[in-house]
This record gives sequence, structure tokens and C-alpha cells, in this order.
Amino acid sequence: MRSILLTLLLSPLLFSYQQGDTLSQNIQDKLNIKEEKIYIIDFFASWCASCEKEIPYISKVHQQVDSSQVEIIGVDVDKKIENAEAFQKELKERGALTFRVVNDPENSIIKAFKPIGMPALFYIKDKKVIDAVFGAVDNIDEVIIADLKRLQK
Amino acid sequence: MIKGFLLMASVLLLSGCAVKDVQPWEKETLAKDTMKNGAGNALMTKFENHIYFSKEGSKGGGGVAGGGCGCN
Repeated sequence: MRSILLTLLLSPLLFSYQQGDTLSQNIQDKLNIKEEKIYIIDFFASWCASCEKEIPYISKVHQQVDSSQVEIIGVDVDKKIENAEAFQKELKERGALTFRVVNDPENSIIKAFKPIGMPALFYIKDKKVIDAVFGAVDNIDEVIIADLKRLQK
Repeated sequence: MIKGFLLMASVLLLSGCAVKDVQPWEKETLAKDTMKNGAGNALMTKFENHIYFSKEGSKGGGGVAGGGCGCN
């Protein structure tokens, strides 16, 4: 009885990726994760002001890191694909978006990760979730560089 | 045994009456200006925030945090 209640209470957590979990083959295919390097998955949307603020800083990191060691993948969770494309086009035109983006209009990718807030960054190494950062963070570029130094050890 | 089963069944059925949580990636509509105090009208926003914060006895929290992300 107690275990059933505990399972019910924790059920939202049981179906999302936790630290140490391996990504399913379906998610790996959708994100085109093939190599054994570190991937940073950035979930964002056109309506998320904090995400828009962070993207230029994440692009800055993308230009600084060795692409054979680290790859950044954006996941746009806008339900309307035209909103997603217009948003990304506008960012690219002003040089604020330099990493590749996967559109997720059905939200199938983000539902697998279930972040507690947006923007959300997930660090993937050897196809496993090794760390995550949720919410708006000041100087996110410096935070990512520090995290990468720690995670690459 | 039957009592326990009925209790579990009723608990599961009752959860159908609960309001479904809005997930962080589902806040597009909540992030719109029209969903905030004053519905995007600067004067009305100031007026409504004044009343809201006076009643709450605190300031802030009048909109969806972090630009509609629910992140802070």
C-alpha cells in the first residue's frame, strides 16, 4: 500500500530523464546524437524571454568550444512551426544563433526530459544525462564553460 | 482486500478531477501580455499592480516568472 502511494507521488519523476539515465534510441535519433562526445541540449521557445536572452551567450560558447569534443543542440519547443522558424531566422540574422536547432512542435523531445523550468540545459556524455541547468542564469556562457571543465575531467 | 482495492480505485478516479499542471513548455499562452495584469495597457498594469501588491502586502509575482518560463 505504502509503496503504491509512493509510486503515485513520484510517478512524474519516474518518466523523465534523471542524472545518469541513458537517452532512448528514439531521442538519440531525433537529436542526431551519435558520437561519444559531450552534447549540450538547450530547450527554448519564441515566447520565452529568458531563453531569447540566453541564446546569444550559448552561441558564444558554441564558437569557443572544440566541436569534436562538445556539440550544442537547440530544441525549439514552439507548437507552431512558423513561429519557431521566424524566431530562429530573426536570431540568425543578427548572429545570435549559431548552433543547430531541432524543432519539436509535438513536444515529444521535451516531454522525455521534463525540465522543471525554461530555459533548460541538459549535458549529455556517452549518451547519458550527466547534469542540467534550469531557468534564467546570468552569464550562462561562463557557467557552461565552468561546467564543461568540471565534466570533461 | 476489497476495501483496499476500492480505496485505491477511488483515489485513482479522484485524480481525474484534479487540475492538470501546466508544464514549463506549455506556458506560451500564459506568457502573452494579455494574460498579465492590465492586459498590456501600461496605465492599467500600473493601476492593477498597485491594488494587487497592496492586497498581497508584497511586490512582484504578478506575471509568469522569467519572461513566461516559470523558471524563477
